[in-house]
Amino acid sequence: MTPQADSARVSFWTRLQAIDRRWIYLVLAAVVIVPLLFPFKIKPKATTPVQKLFNYIDTMPREKALVISIDYTPDTRAELQPMVVALLRHAFATRRPVGVLAMAVYGLGLGEEALSQVAAEFNAHATNHEDSIINGEDYVFWGWTTPPLTVMLGMGERITNVFPVDYYGARTESLPIMRDLRNYDDMGILVTVAASAMPRSWIVYAQVQFGVHLSCGITAVSAADFYPYVNSGQFTGMLAGMKGAAEYEELVTAKMNKEGLDWGLRNRGTEAMSSQTAAHLAIMAFIIIGNIGFFATRRRK
Amino acid sequence: MAFSSIVALLVLSLAPPGDVAASDVPNDEGGKIAVSWTRSPDTTVTSYRVLRQAVGATEWETLGFVGRLASTYTDDAAANDRQFQYRLIAVSPTETAESEPSAPAVATAQWFNTETLPALIGSAILIFVFLYFINRARRDRNLFIRRISGLDHVEEALGRATEMGRPTLYVPGLSSIADVATIASLNILGEVAKRTAKYGTPLIVPNTDPIVYTVAREIVKESYTSVGRPDAFNQDIVFFVTDQQFAYAAAVDGIMTREKPATNFLIGMFYAESLILAETGAATGAIQIAGTDAVAQLPFFITACDYTLIGEELYAASAYLSREPLLLGATKAQDYSKAIIVGLILLGTLLALIANVSTSRFM
Amino acid sequence: MQRRLPLMLVLVTGIFGAVAFFVPHGAVRSVDEVFRNDVQRILAAFSLVLGVGSIVQHHLTKIQRKASFWQYSWITLTALVLTAIVGVFGGIDPNRPGILPTHIGSFSFHIQTIFSNMMVPLAATMFSLLAFFMSSAAYRAFRARNVEATLLLAAAFILMLGAVPLGRAIHAELPSFAEWILAVPNTASKRGILFGVELGIFATSLKIVLGIERGWLGGGGGK
Repeated sequence: MTPQADSARVSFWTRLQAIDRRWIYLVLAAVVIVPLLFPFKIKPKATTPVQKLFNYIDTMPREKALVISIDYTPDTRAELQPMVVALLRHAFATRRPVGVLAMAVYGLGLGEEALSQVAAEFNAHATNHEDSIINGEDYVFWGWTTPPLTVMLGMGERITNVFPVDYYGARTESLPIMRDLRNYDDMGILVTVAASAMPRSWIVYAQVQFGVHLSCGITAVSAADFYPYVNSGQFTGMLAGMKGAAEYEELVTAKMNKEGLDWGLRNRGTEAMSSQTAAHLAIMAFIIIGNIGFFATRRRK
Repeated sequence: MAFSSIVALLVLSLAPPGDVAASDVPNDEGGKIAVSWTRSPDTTVTSYRVLRQAVGATEWETLGFVGRLASTYTDDAAANDRQFQYRLIAVSPTETAESEPSAPAVATAQWFNTETLPALIGSAILIFVFLYFINRARRDRNLFIRRISGLDHVEEALGRATEMGRPTLYVPGLSSIADVATIASLNILGEVAKRTAKYGTPLIVPNTDPIVYTVAREIVKESYTSVGRPDAFNQDIVFFVTDQQFAYAAAVDGIMTREKPATNFLIGMFYAESLILAETGAATGAIQIAGTDAVAQLPFFITACDYTLIGEELYAASAYLSREPLLLGATKAQDYSKAIIVGLILLGTLLALIANVSTSRFM
Repeated sequence: MQRRLPLMLVLVTGIFGAVAFFVPHGAVRSVDEVFRNDVQRILAAFSLVLGVGSIVQHHLTKIQRKASFWQYSWITLTALVLTAIVGVFGGIDPNRPGILPTHIGSFSFHIQTIFSNMMVPLAATMFSLLAFFMSSAAYRAFRARNVEATLLLAAAFILMLGAVPLGRAIHAELPSFAEWILAVPNTASKRGILFGVELGIFATSLKIVLGIERGWLGGGGGK
């Protein structure tokens, strides 16, 4: 190669290395938006932690409740809300009692939204009282109180002491569902859906002291932090990020179809997988291009 | 009644649950008695009713029902230091069968939770190591700590800000004062504030927790006073922004792009906003020193910052910067405690390996 | 006295807090609960007053001095006051109205409205910025400079592919291998760092309780 051509090549890579980051942002934006408009079908297959949680909830005794703790705030809603919706669908489809609480005050709106959405989905296809999902009978939304430690320890004694009224203002002691949902002993599993270190607190204060079964739904970036607890059995399975949500949605959809509840419900986690796939590929391409440029300019030096 | 009828009655009647036993639930503050029994062999049983009687009383009160597969029940409303007896009634669609009452049991509060004994022993060992090295530090004031790159460059980073005439930004993390990482960060803030006061470099300390804000303000004020520059301190240096995670990140990003600090310290507990802060700082061309014990955020800081204090280096920073002998002794104690834990892990692994090999040999 | 009283308080409450972990008896637990719940709540409530005071003072000073970008301070203070008024007088949602008239056309004055229509999208937007910052950080900093960096890059590629269904299309075992990397070597290294961090927390807490670490009192450094 002639020195001029060589210089031009290196200059190109040097310029590319120093490219304005806004070009990178533009490419990424396009890569995320286009698959949302023109999605390609992806069916995620469940990984072991997700399958473990699904199997546990599917086979736990009917009278044992699924309790979900909304420990996240609206900024992580895109990743975590689909998990809550999928868990609620699973519980209602298998007629298990459900309890929901929020450890983050901004999670209240999210919990209420998820419960309203899923209850409406089931009630739209209900033909009698038995099939309907009724607040106070099939589920209870305890709401929020502070501090978290009081909630975690208090629920081991009596939930109605921690939450004397539910989110809607009804006295919890008067709710039919609370007759058989007194404390952790009446829960099959408590799933903490969080974007913080709250799941660890649940282990320390709820599991160590009261032996309640726990699992967690967390953002993908925090998943690595919680694998030790999944491996040790302290968490029964785990839902990690949007992919974990999509995998659980697939399992729940298959279960509901098998039970004759083939309603064509939207699975937001699965819908987002095409964008996530494209974004991952784009970032890999950026890394490869950056490294090619790095080696090209380094050789010159 | 004919003998055959009596036999028929005996054969057909429901078998009651047996071996009803009650005992205090250990390691608690009392108020709980655990009841256990052997289930009735009859498959027609649908549930068990649990009854309780205070010794001396005449009435049995129903505590609740449990399913046919249950063989335990916890009475969590038993008053302390009172004797109670329990019995069960097996319930089927057509009849019931009562068990014999249990022996009396008393709920008591314990003064020590025996399940925490391993934690107590571990704590005692660590405290002993700690006190030993604190004592040694009083006699030998030159304890060695290896170099920590991020902390070695604090002076250089602050000097850069002074030369460029631009401020230094110090973010003490997003956690509360109850978080030890925040306290470690505030200790470093004190040292940084002394240096910025000496060099006359503007300092900006935005806070996300009101209590941390008040403590940070006092620390910076004291630091400025201690180097003889109380006049240089003003209320605008340390301020509260918001307790919302991403609103705080937006505010700090705004400060970085408007004030263009030459040096950024991102030290404390961080969450998902860590990369937003670090990458914005990198885009403005600042030299960045980060430190956190949030393991999930370390990769972001290592990628985007010039120097990163990893995990316990954050806790050693206060000793490293101040060179106070007692703090150095505590840091040495940390190291030796870790060595003890590593030794125990290796020993445990070896024993498990030997056990595994011996078991497979005998099979 | 100014320094002795906080140090004594820290010593007493620190030792009591540690003892409460080992003692389940109601006498100890009830006192511990008062410290953890009631005292904390009271402190948090009063400190919020200080925090709001700090924001107001900080931005009023900027407005008075017409410091750079002082117009944003007006926006901040206006938003603070309006949100406070709506929160106190405007009710929570349409089912739980306050004393303020609650509608202008279809726009309702509830704290839930401000939360759902402003807080939620703003927070989600800021969180979404992470994707862009990650791509620019990956482009700028992920270089195969040495053996360790190359290993890191390879692991990152495997994990990124394993996190999307495309990974399974490339090789059926790729997602399992990605999971193995997270579950085994990554977990092992995190556990190692965690040991150090927890020991550091133990040591720092002990230093604070025993009064060896006094930086938090102001003035920096230790005894």
